[in-house]
Amino acid sequence: MRKKSVSYAKYGYIFSIPFVVTFLVFSLYPIIYTLVIGFTNLRGLGVKEFHFLRTAEGNLDLFGNFRTVLNNKTFTTSLKNTIILWTANFIPQISMALLLTAWFTNRNFKVKGQGAYKILIYMPNIITAATIAILFNSLFGYPKGPVNDLLMKLHIIDGPRNFSLQRWTARGIVSFIQFWMWYGNTMIVLIAGVLGINPSLFEAAEIDGATPAQIFFRVTLPLLRTILLYVLVTSMIGGLQMFDIPKLFLNGGPDQATVTSSMFIHDQAFSGSYLYNRASAASIIVFGIIIVLSIILFQVLRDKDEVARRKYRRAQNRAARKGVNA
Amino acid sequence: MAKRVRTITLVLLVAVLGVSLFAGGQTEATTAKKKVINVWSFTDEVPKMIDRYKELHPEFDYEIKTTIIATTDGAYQPALDQALIGGGADAPDIYAAEAAFVLKYTQGDAKQYAATYKELGIDVDRLVKEADIAQYTIDIGSNERGLVALGYQATGGAFIYRRSIAKAVWGTDDPQVIKTKIGPGLDKFFQAAEALKKKGYAIVSGDGDLWHAVENSSDKGWVVDGKLYLDPKREAFIDHSKRLMDNGYHNDTQDWTDAWFADMKGANPKQAFGFFGPAWLINYVMAGNSGGTKIGEGTYGDWAVCEPPIGFFWGGTWVLANRDSKVKDAVAELIQWITLDSSETGLQYYWANGTLFGAGGTKDSVASGTVMSKSDGSLDFLGGQDMFEAFVPAGAFATGKNLTQYDETINSTWRAQVREYTAGNKTRAQAIADFKRMVFETLDIPSN
Repeated sequence: MRKKSVSYAKYGYIFSIPFVVTFLVFSLYPIIYTLVIGFTNLRGLGVKEFHFLRTAEGNLDLFGNFRTVLNNKTFTTSLKNTIILWTANFIPQISMALLLTAWFTNRNFKVKGQGAYKILIYMPNIITAATIAILFNSLFGYPKGPVNDLLMKLHIIDGPRNFSLQRWTARGIVSFIQFWMWYGNTMIVLIAGVLGINPSLFEAAEIDGATPAQIFFRVTLPLLRTILLYVLVTSMIGGLQMFDIPKLFLNGGPDQATVTSSMFIHDQAFSGSYLYNRASAASIIVFGIIIVLSIILFQVLRDKDEVARRKYRRAQNRAARKGVNA
Repeated sequence: MAKRVRTITLVLLVAVLGVSLFAGGQTEATTAKKKVINVWSFTDEVPKMIDRYKELHPEFDYEIKTTIIATTDGAYQPALDQALIGGGADAPDIYAAEAAFVLKYTQGDAKQYAATYKELGIDVDRLVKEADIAQYTIDIGSNERGLVALGYQATGGAFIYRRSIAKAVWGTDDPQVIKTKIGPGLDKFFQAAEALKKKGYAIVSGDGDLWHAVENSSDKGWVVDGKLYLDPKREAFIDHSKRLMDNGYHNDTQDWTDAWFADMKGANPKQAFGFFGPAWLINYVMAGNSGGTKIGEGTYGDWAVCEPPIGFFWGGTWVLANRDSKVKDAVAELIQWITLDSSETGLQYYWANGTLFGAGGTKDSVASGTVMSKSDGSLDFLGGQDMFEAFVPAGAFATGKNLTQYDETINSTWRAQVREYTAGNKTRAQAIADFKRMVFETLDIPSN
């Protein structure tokens, strides 16, 4: 008598069908479609027929859109802006988050009302970006606005300034909004990371007479490396896709100083001429940039000791096998 | 036993799933019998009119399904485009379009979806004459197949000014006199600006006010034969703007910002004399921002309208019907009532007198000159002046031949570059060159 074994694995497959189907239809298909139309002549509203780009002589010219996009000054400006805005927001963001993490997780001084502070710091992240962008727009209103009024009351400036015409002020404000919205979130992730570290390590360091600064830089940070990598990569991807705040704050102005690459892609496709093919080409380029940067980050931040150890183990195994064969 | 229970639950589960999956198809089938009209709009204005029509005509037994998507962030157009392309039972039967993008749906990339009013069975030729519809609305609403869109509002613009300031500067607030002080033509306008400046007033709030007048009084639109065209009148705007700025003729506000609204209640240190605008600006924007609700409060009642120095129109809503609509007769009935019925039971008569939802509503100028001539447009906000005096002729000055489907994008690019120049960040030539480059790079419209 053979007992029939019941395989429950198939239920797993059945229950994952809805996800797989939604993913295929709403994620994978659009991605592939985007990839394809980047090489075609698809533009215009309601156009259903399109073909791969060809030169006048009829030869395939697949990368025509990519050439156009790369020669587009607005696109290069937008890439430059994206990098400026992201760097200017990420450096203060990660520093602030690390500082707060160090304070909140320090075992020597218990910060009173920690929960309340964490909530307050996290708060800006809950408000929708659109609201914040519009709020800042009216805060910096010209010739009448709270910031102008305040600066005039304090006699820092004599007359109202039109902040929305100053390139670096506008960039600074956008970066600040991004920083202010996200440092709380980053802090929460980092605190979770620190709490995951074995407390006995900190105790050992204390017993050995390490100062809090030493503990932070020699124990906490190295053990946070994977979490930091996660924060860095997600923030970089988010930063390269920055759209809502610059779009709603000054619509990319003044004079394209806050146009980001996502806004460029959006404007190619939806601001009147429906240049879907160029928008796709631009998004593929941005996708490529994100991949390259992510790989670089992984390479730079990976655990070098771990890699060395793995290499050593592999070498040993090989040696052992050789020994057996011999 | 246990196995059977499990089988039954499984079958039930599948059945429930199936029902919810195919429910969409079922409701479609049933609603098709119930005669549905799909209405798409960017405000609740048109849907409310249609609801009112149903109340007034109980025998009109169609179910109205409305989809309202605000134009903020450009969300309305992509959604409407997809709905039109998609077709089927949920496709819009009636859809509304705003001046900023109506051209796309009447003469541009999406014109193929619009039904002509003739196809719907509306006796256009007779009714247009009877209602005395302003030519610019017809120009905008027509393509080579015929008339596909009309509005219910007249958005011809006038100059709306403060009576108290007019008295202080010229000793009178009579619109017949003031119109000869500020116009005709922009030379007179700048003379008036100088006179106002001497008494410490700004003539307008910001250069955007003048822009709306310049934009829609120019002879050609932004795109001519596929090339970017900078109409001489629009190009001259950069100099007008600079002149306003350098001489301190305005408060350097931007339209739709707090400082602009503040000028409506005279809250800026330098008071602004007036605004360029159609009737809707008075009723929906200025009245609410005047700091009062009856004469004597804020600037309420301190305003009057007169002919503008240059004729123009600003904004407006056009109503279109889908060519593939299955309920053309009902659609035609509604559209005719909204856009072409000049009787006292037509929408426009109610709209002009503010009686659509009962007495005391907001009065507005309407597309039909016939209706306006038999309506009472006197407003407390204007100190009792009948606004139709100024707005009936205003409709005739406006031209509708200078719109393109790219206006929203090109206008904001142009005005941003003008601001760069007036603020002294760029030379005039550089600003124009950058403007042309940006239009080419964003919209692929070359300039020669």
